[in-house]
Amino acid sequence: MKRTALTSCGGQDHTIHRRSFLSGMLAGSTVASFGGVGLEADQPAVKPLRKEQRHVLFIWLAGGSSQFEMWDPKPGRETGGPFRPIDTTIPGYQVCELMPQTAAMMDRYAVVRSLNTEISAHAPAADLISTGRPKEAAIDYPEIGVVLGHELAVRDSELPDYVSMFLPSEGRRRPNPGFLGGRHAPLLLESGLRPENIGLPAGVTDAQHVEREHLRELLSSKFAQRRAGSDLISGYNSAYQKVRGLMRSDHLFNLDQEPQKVRDQYGRTEFGQQCLLARRLIEAGVSVVKVARGFWDSHHDNFESHRELVPDFDHVMSVLLDDLDQRGLLESTLVMVLSEFGRTPKINPNVGRDHYAAAWSCAFAGCGIRGGSVYGKTDADGKTVVDGEVDAADIAATAFKAVGIDPEKHYQVGLRPVPLAREESHAIDDILL
Amino acid sequence: MSSPEEKKTFSPSDAKLLATYEYPQILYASCLDPDRRALFVGGSDYAVYRVDLAAEKPAVEQRWRSHDNYVSALTYHDGVVISGSYDGQLIWTNAESGESLRGVKDAHAAWIRDAVLARDGSFVASVADDMLVKLWDAKTGELITTFAGHERLTPEGFATALYAVAISPDGTTVASADRIGHVCLWDVKSGKRLRRFEAPTFYTYDAVKRSRSIGGIRSLAFSPDGSKLAVAGIGAVSNVDGFVGPCRMELWNCVTGERIAACQDKHQAVLNHVAFHPVEPWIVAAGGGDGGGVISFWNRQGSSSTHLAKLKGHAQHFSLDAEGRHLYAAGHGGVQAWTLFPREG
Repeated sequence: MKRTALTSCGGQDHTIHRRSFLSGMLAGSTVASFGGVGLEADQPAVKPLRKEQRHVLFIWLAGGSSQFEMWDPKPGRETGGPFRPIDTTIPGYQVCELMPQTAAMMDRYAVVRSLNTEISAHAPAADLISTGRPKEAAIDYPEIGVVLGHELAVRDSELPDYVSMFLPSEGRRRPNPGFLGGRHAPLLLESGLRPENIGLPAGVTDAQHVEREHLRELLSSKFAQRRAGSDLISGYNSAYQKVRGLMRSDHLFNLDQEPQKVRDQYGRTEFGQQCLLARRLIEAGVSVVKVARGFWDSHHDNFESHRELVPDFDHVMSVLLDDLDQRGLLESTLVMVLSEFGRTPKINPNVGRDHYAAAWSCAFAGCGIRGGSVYGKTDADGKTVVDGEVDAADIAATAFKAVGIDPEKHYQVGLRPVPLAREESHAIDDILL
Repeated sequence: MSSPEEKKTFSPSDAKLLATYEYPQILYASCLDPDRRALFVGGSDYAVYRVDLAAEKPAVEQRWRSHDNYVSALTYHDGVVISGSYDGQLIWTNAESGESLRGVKDAHAAWIRDAVLARDGSFVASVADDMLVKLWDAKTGELITTFAGHERLTPEGFATALYAVAISPDGTTVASADRIGHVCLWDVKSGKRLRRFEAPTFYTYDAVKRSRSIGGIRSLAFSPDGSKLAVAGIGAVSNVDGFVGPCRMELWNCVTGERIAACQDKHQAVLNHVAFHPVEPWIVAAGGGDGGGVISFWNRQGSSSTHLAKLKGHAQHFSLDAEGRHLYAAGHGGVQAWTLFPREG
């Protein structure tokens, strides 16, 4: 394969709040104890990363953003639409005019214009991109973010390993912990920017709550002494520690604590505020954060919807990358911009674009990424990939490798060794440092 | 030729499709040359086309390509076609020869959405996403005045659009309308804003369920006596991924600033163009959406609607001849020619 790079929908019933976060973690412990995932694999294995914690920030453009109106414009073609291309800091590479700030900082991005992921229905496509694999009846694969959260977790951290933000109608789906079990499920922020039920129960002071925890720890340690090495007990302790930590971290979710200037820089759109929160969480030590910005599914009036969505994306992402960089976090944070698919070259009778998986784009920045890279190419009308075709597994392998995780590392699931990225996948080395 | 009595009793349900003039892309604009019975259309391939309606087999034939983006507005006066485009230009072109007569390169700093000619042919009014209304001398192309006052962002902080403009029959008032449902009336002589209506139902933004906007007032039309303004678009949308909401038209009293009527139809579509039909009591509108493309007739009291036809794709614009006998709907895939008085033969 020739590869070219230019260089330079749900309800509230599954909401994870404090209590369900705890029960999920405990359930996961049970899985670990009874042979779901091998113990060796269950231990975070990227020890060198502990010295310099790495993070991943997923920007999930739910519904399928248009590559034509973002990363791969086709000006003057029947498929191109009315937006013009603009030059970027990468000579010879243009993006849609709706992304002027992105164009000016393209030296930070690596763009992949050659995704062919074949599946163009929302749910299976989202599963594919999120796990890097087609669904299998025999095994429930975890979302890449869950795997990354597990792999990049900081032992004894009081913070959740993974926080996922979306509105129930927006992100379309919750990250699936799959065979890693419920203890690795992310903390979901679905109804707002703060976890629900994070406060102390009515009538209980913080001191009383701490005393209760001490008592629980005492009883637990005595119990553990009689059952040395019990992972179940270890899991319980870890879960309680996380919940207590989450309660102590309430301030992290309070954007009022950010200077007004910073809040204004991010803008007051929901996406802007979510990305600001994402930065706060990463800065505090959360390993993986996902921000899902929805309603890219522009079957009608595609150009009007992208006029609204892309400038917001452009502005917020530019502020976010600058902010991460200024705080010294960009080098250690992999930022990934993904959708479940792109949009059709053909403009339909409703002036919309439909789902299209045969030739579309995604983007990376930050940790491990060679900024200023453009990988792969589509034909003049954006209908097919003509150079550097990659699939969902390659994207997963690239993400793992970018943060220093061997994509070929295996989990032992029952009797079956399961590599982090699907067999035969290849990381896109051209965009990696 | 029919008698006036016949016209007064015409029924939209009698209308018949005469022909379809195919065009492979999307047409956004149209205008008629009444003398030569020619229809001009333009759209997504940047070109202006002519349909010779007097020909035995009319066809969409390219005449000129002088814009650098979608052609979004066409108006005809005295042998000249004035075109507006998403490239921000207004261009005057000899309708017969295709010779470019004059152009205003930066007429607007954003997509021109609409441009209309005053009935007396003295000036053109244009609107664009720079949220400005501009009046131009129809002969010389000189800028006469600029009206500013539409919000530059939606209440949620996103880009908005200024879709629609209309000129009162006496040429004294210009109306403009935007994506968030604001309508402004401007006094041509003084340049002052006379009135501002808010018609928020045309704009959907549900911050809880679906945080993306959709809709907007897509077209305006003054009544023949100038006292009323028809405002067209789409009602509350349930799914912003598409035009999943009812066709909506409102009638406003231009003098008092009161809404006279609000009418919706169960057909799910946005109405992209509206006009008062010369024959009472009809207002004609066209558009498209989840329910498919549509041309519909509405009672001037806004109390009921009668659908004329469902189309293959969105109708973006239409032209009516002076007597309202023929309607030419331009949109996805070409032009549909309808006769509204089929009994005339």
